[in-house]
Amino acid sequence: MDEKIIRVKDLKKEFGENKVLRGVNFELGAGERVVVLGPSGSGKSTFLRCINRIEEPTAGEVYFSDTLITDKNIQKIRQDIGMVFQHFNLINNLTVMKNLTLAPVILKLMNEEAAEKKARGLLKHIDLLGKAEAYPASLSGGQKQRIAIVRAMMLNPKVMLFDEPTSALDPESIGDVLSLIREVAKAGMTMMIVTHEMNFAKEIATRIVFVDEGRIIEEGTPKEFFEHPKTLRVKEFLEKVL
Amino acid sequence: MDNFFNKLVELFTTPQYIDSLLHGFLLTMQISFFAIIIGLVLGTIIALIDTAKKSKWMVLPKFICRVYVTIIRGTPMALQLFIMFFVIFAIRGFPQIIIAILAFGFNSAAYTAEVIRSGIQSVDVGQTEAGMALGLSRFTIFRRIVAPQAIKNIIPALGNEIITVIKETAIVSMVGMYDLNMAAKDIGSGQNMASYIVPMFVAALFYLAVIYLITFVIKRIEKTLRKSERRA
Ligand SMILES: Nc1ncnc2c1ncn2[C@@H]1O[C@H](COP(=O)(O)OP(=O)(O)O)[C@@H](O)[C@H]1O
Ligand SMILES: [Mg+2]
Repeated sequence: MDEKIIRVKDLKKEFGENKVLRGVNFELGAGERVVVLGPSGSGKSTFLRCINRIEEPTAGEVYFSDTLITDKNIQKIRQDIGMVFQHFNLINNLTVMKNLTLAPVILKLMNEEAAEKKARGLLKHIDLLGKAEAYPASLSGGQKQRIAIVRAMMLNPKVMLFDEPTSALDPESIGDVLSLIREVAKAGMTMMIVTHEMNFAKEIATRIVFVDEGRIIEEGTPKEFFEHPKTLRVKEFLEKVL
Repeated sequence: MDNFFNKLVELFTTPQYIDSLLHGFLLTMQISFFAIIIGLVLGTIIALIDTAKKSKWMVLPKFICRVYVTIIRGTPMALQLFIMFFVIFAIRGFPQIIIAILAFGFNSAAYTAEVIRSGIQSVDVGQTEAGMALGLSRFTIFRRIVAPQAIKNIIPALGNEIITVIKETAIVSMVGMYDLNMAAKDIGSGQNMASYIVPMFVAALFYLAVIYLITFVIKRIEKTLRKSERRA
């Protein structure tokens, strides 16, 4: 667990007057699965999005495996950081197959044939091979999210970021998506997950991080965090959600 | 009614009239066609500058584009035409058709830019973010993800703009150019008020036919573009 995949130093993000991240320090070791908890609007999404620079940080440093992330190298580094969004963000004008193969082929990581073969394997695994030629508009939320997860896996990322992957889903499909994330975890993937599924958090996390008003105010193992919260803020939060 | 029919026959059997109408029609089409091309090219450039990522290099170009669009959209086309004819190109012997093409082209560019800009901006940012997260370049994201989706929003509005240009070129008769509108007036003049009816009716049919054809083509394109997303 010595190798750090991600290091975040004094990360700050402001939207105009709104100070959303107020100095976040964080390290993610290889093989860790960190669940990020916190009230709505506390900056969890912004934190994740500043890591792969979908959001430009205002100040602070983010390192990916000892490389300082800059505007120049981020595009290459993003290949190693898979991201799964709350609203899936499958590319609407591309078929499921093309959603999976577009990036690896354009980035010259695989040729078309190899990419399609890998995509078929993954789609088969999630029981959606029959949808390979379908467009996203014809899929259910649960199907879209599972495809979004395997799309991220097509690039063999070193870490995956999940931003509320089940928040936009109907109750029936939540289970399918969580199972898939569980499987990815079992395979040893390093991950960060923002979620409101507390049971899932307890089960999957090797560490819980609690964000409030743009800072990490508490962290610990799931057992410590849920059974012996240190701060009043976390106690209040847990009373509300459990 | 009988008289109308006779006049119609007369118009279509008098070579001089036919000639005038066709000449006028040709001029209208030439001005429209090249103006639309200029509008598309210039409008696309303006829209791309307008929607480009903010950076210190883009401040001035973005500002110039905003000013340009504001001025063009905030003043009458007829005035813009006069300015081009009597101020900017007040050069003896300079081909009128080129001045007209530029006037309508520069005007159309501002509207086309707005159509393209709003088409691009109507694409969900999540689509761009997905592309970013996958490590794709801005250019690839635009070409493979944003542009194909934006086109669907752009085509119908662009159709409207094309139709507007064709109809608006009729004001070149104000600077004495012999377009379809002017031809209709010319054929009918010098006789009595009723003599205007038939040539103007025929000119209207010419405009209608062209615009109907364009509407038809645009509808077909829209349909083809939409189909690509519904296949299950
Ligand atoms: N693109 C943006 N522009 C302006 N404000 C934003 C933007 N994204 C997020 N915010 C603001 O940042 C704060 C934190 O948002 P977010 O990181 O989404 O919180 P969380 O994911 O914890 O619910 C909110 O107040 C939100 O309004
Ligand atoms: Mg969020």
